[in-house]
Amino acid sequence: MEDISFEWREQHWRLSAGRAVYWEEEQTLIVADLHVGKSAHFRKAGIAVPANIVQEDLYRLQQLITKYHPTRIIVVGDMFHSSANNDVVYFKLWRQQFPHIPFLLITGNHDILAPDLYDELDIRLQDTLSLRNIFFVHDAADTPSTLDNQYVFSGHIHPGVRLVGYGKQSLRLPCFYFGPDTAVLPAFSHFTGTYSLEPEPSSAVFVIAEKKVFRV
Amino acid sequence: MKNTPGWQAIEQWLAAKELKPFAFQEEAWEHYLSGRSGLVNAPTGFGKTFSMFLGVLIRWMNEQPDYRHKTNSGLQLLWVTPLRALAKDIGRAMEEALHELHIPWKVGIRSGDTATHIREQQKKQMPEVLIITPESIHILLAQKEYPKRFAGLHTVVVDEWHELLGSKRGVLVELGLSRLRGLHGERLQTWGISATIGNLEEALEVLMGQSVHEKAIVRAEVKKEIAVHCILPDEIEKYPWAGHMGLKLLHKVLPVIQNSRTTLLFTNTRGQSEIWYQQILKQCPELAGAIALHHGSIDAELRIWVEEALHTGTLKLVVCTSSLDLGVDFRPVDTVIQVGSPKGVARFLQRAGRSGHQPDAVSNIWFLPTHSLELVEAAALKDAMKINFIESRMPVVLAFDVLLQYLMTLGVSDGFNADEIWKEVTSTFCYRDLLPEEWQWILAFLTTGGEALHSYDEFRKLHLVGDQYHCVSKQQALRHRLHIGTIVSDAMLKVRFMTGGFIGLIEEYFISRLSPGDTFSLSGQNLEYVMIKDMTVIVRKSKSRKSIVPSWNGGRMPLSANLGMMLRRKFHEAMSGAAREEEVLILQPLFELQQALSHIPLEDELLMEQIETKDGYHLFVYPFEGRLVHEVMATLLAWRISQRHPISFSIAMNDYGFELLSDQPIPVDDTNAQELFSSEKLTEDLQASVNATEMARRKFRDIAVIAGLIFQGFPGKHKANRHLQSSASLLFNVFHDYDPQNILLRQAFNEAFFYQMEEARLRDTMERIYRNKIVITFPQRLTPFCFPIKVDSLREQLTSEKLEDRIKKMIVW
Repeated sequence: MEDISFEWREQHWRLSAGRAVYWEEEQTLIVADLHVGKSAHFRKAGIAVPANIVQEDLYRLQQLITKYHPTRIIVVGDMFHSSANNDVVYFKLWRQQFPHIPFLLITGNHDILAPDLYDELDIRLQDTLSLRNIFFVHDAADTPSTLDNQYVFSGHIHPGVRLVGYGKQSLRLPCFYFGPDTAVLPAFSHFTGTYSLEPEPSSAVFVIAEKKVFRV
Repeated sequence: MKNTPGWQAIEQWLAAKELKPFAFQEEAWEHYLSGRSGLVNAPTGFGKTFSMFLGVLIRWMNEQPDYRHKTNSGLQLLWVTPLRALAKDIGRAMEEALHELHIPWKVGIRSGDTATHIREQQKKQMPEVLIITPESIHILLAQKEYPKRFAGLHTVVVDEWHELLGSKRGVLVELGLSRLRGLHGERLQTWGISATIGNLEEALEVLMGQSVHEKAIVRAEVKKEIAVHCILPDEIEKYPWAGHMGLKLLHKVLPVIQNSRTTLLFTNTRGQSEIWYQQILKQCPELAGAIALHHGSIDAELRIWVEEALHTGTLKLVVCTSSLDLGVDFRPVDTVIQVGSPKGVARFLQRAGRSGHQPDAVSNIWFLPTHSLELVEAAALKDAMKINFIESRMPVVLAFDVLLQYLMTLGVSDGFNADEIWKEVTSTFCYRDLLPEEWQWILAFLTTGGEALHSYDEFRKLHLVGDQYHCVSKQQALRHRLHIGTIVSDAMLKVRFMTGGFIGLIEEYFISRLSPGDTFSLSGQNLEYVMIKDMTVIVRKSKSRKSIVPSWNGGRMPLSANLGMMLRRKFHEAMSGAAREEEVLILQPLFELQQALSHIPLEDELLMEQIETKDGYHLFVYPFEGRLVHEVMATLLAWRISQRHPISFSIAMNDYGFELLSDQPIPVDDTNAQELFSSEKLTEDLQASVNATEMARRKFRDIAVIAGLIFQGFPGKHKANRHLQSSASLLFNVFHDYDPQNILLRQAFNEAFFYQMEEARLRDTMERIYRNKIVITFPQRLTPFCFPIKVDSLREQLTSEKLEDRIKKMIVW
């Protein structure tokens, strides 16, 4: 999983092909839309999707943690897909490897677990978060209008982008999107689709192509 | 047999109407009364319903001397019909006969439209005759104690079997029959009714499965005279080289309509029919009120109104799609117009047959080409009709998705014994080659979700209790019952006025690209999109003159193999100057231009054109084998070229040839072109090339829905299931990455490949081309042959370049 360094809004970011951002100044790993429990939720309803997706997703998160040694992890919403199930139990076991790293969840529309369960999982909840000049919110549409001079980091839409080339070539890839006022992070889980967005002028777009990240 | 009381009663009843049974009807009755099963081959409008129905009545009257007083006899006859709309008309005809013959039977209809209280009545007392759709058979099989309901059943008739054969709905019929045979043994007689197709014997075989019943095929020898007329452009030089709308010839169509009593104008897509409807109204405002629109996305009530009006002859013109291919006859119709290629001989004949229904009347059909080269198709159609070269319908085999759905159906009703059902399922044509390990995989998929049992896994669909598989979750059972029969998967949304009033259905995909305030047309009206609420598109009437016409997916029909072959022959005739038909002769200037710019291939030549345009480097190849073969062949060629060095292709095709487009020169010349068609390693290369494109992914869409992996929700309730939403494309990725052995993925690859064509046929074609002389030209500009392919927007991609290298050459769109 390679990454690419990027300076934006006076901060230093490393965009990883593992679908995460490492914030150097804050030593913080930022991810969005983990959707832990999605495959178990489907399976519980009798839809036989593969059961091992959560293991692979969390294994990747584990690799990112051992690579960057963050002092804190911020999840920009939709950490859990739905109500409690055995994937959440698996997460609880997995979480015990990193008792010293605080997990901070900016709640998203999917985060509907019971409050005491979050305590059990050692996850702190917040609706939004301000850190230096960055404002975290799950859905950028919920950004308060009173924000002054803060740049927004969001998730929610599972951004992707369509690339075209000579000879009618085209590709659709998940991306990191840095717009004029708002950044949108790619969905972390592989069990998510992508929504193709149309970049605004003066934005920076990075696509994730297998194990690499490219600015386009 | 003719002396039996039943037969006598029928003869007298017909005689009272000054009618006599047709010879084929008597033949069918005899076979039926002798206890045989079989197939009746007869066109619509010649008493095919009575060829079976009256046979059943004769038997009843013979067996029950006091039949006039016997009521509530339980289900005797199951009549399967592909279309709900047909059920009512057939039921009406049956009731009339029963009434006049003093047989107190009841005729019931069971389809998605049947009201709840009638369903409840049917539960308590089944009618003697039940007219049913394939999906509804499975809905009955999903009910507790379903065997009781079928208790007295002795005959199943499958009407319009040719329509069902070759689709997964046909597989639903096969499975339903296998269960009914399991309940009743060889006592059950099965009959199909089919229009003429190329493989009638096979059609019978599919219907019967491995049943040892004695079988017969009864053919109605009815010859119908069909007159084919061609609408020719005045100046071929000015007629477009590509396109599928044909509106340039509208002015030539109007006199045809005016000189006819009632006309059906067939288009190939629903979008096209909307446009034709509006354009005709614009040209002939006086037709308002006498012209109507009929296609699958229009409100059923409106469609029924149109059909009634067709019966009574109050309409001058109906613009329609395949929605009017089937069904009862509309006597006033004397003219049919076909806009664009019908893509098959059978469909063309069927449509032609919709006109001129009086005995001895001639069916008149007008062919309107939508681009110049399509005129050759008109000539090919005429030839094919002359020699009665009708297509076969290839039966579906090993549809794992339908089997999964079926087993769940049995699981939610009374449960099933795996050994018993294995025997029944493998007795069908569709699953006769099902392997024991595939069967085990399917059972595992339903019980453990395809995984070895983990203690923490919560997957539960079917439970094995004793030797019976059951569904114990009420919620899952409910969801499955609502899901049964979902064979068509496009997410369709209802369209409704703000003030109420249903207009029709539209694809979610189309609406998702509109913004509130945009205007689109449906059902011949201009509508302004307001919002989506509870799976319904809310609209208001729009005064805007400009509107977007929705493109419904699935409108694109491939040319049949038969027509493809006739077309190739016609092209060679035309190109060698041997053609005598006016619609081919008129194309002479076009052929001359083709010769001047490039080349006209002789019968033993294959033409390739290399052209460079602002889009990139094009390689056009013209095997004249029809779209399906071209799709596979183009993919294969792209794959083989890409193995020589890293290159990316965009692929397009039509019925005449295909195009490979790249951003770099395509390394094909005299020295290596022939090798591309080698049949060496053909199977491996085909497999690899299909895997390298999106073909399987597209097929997976239907499979995922049928197998119950995608729950589409139901109106008003969809929110509760929000967390279960996913797209077929996402599931495809997930299976591909995490469970590559999944049998449903294999089915998608098989469908992408085998449904397109049999490998044997491709091999023949490849060998033929391999022996051909390959002519490569380098035209300075686009030729009449390549133009229609180049403008096609449906494209496939294939690449052997590194993702990284491709991205570096691209920009954000």
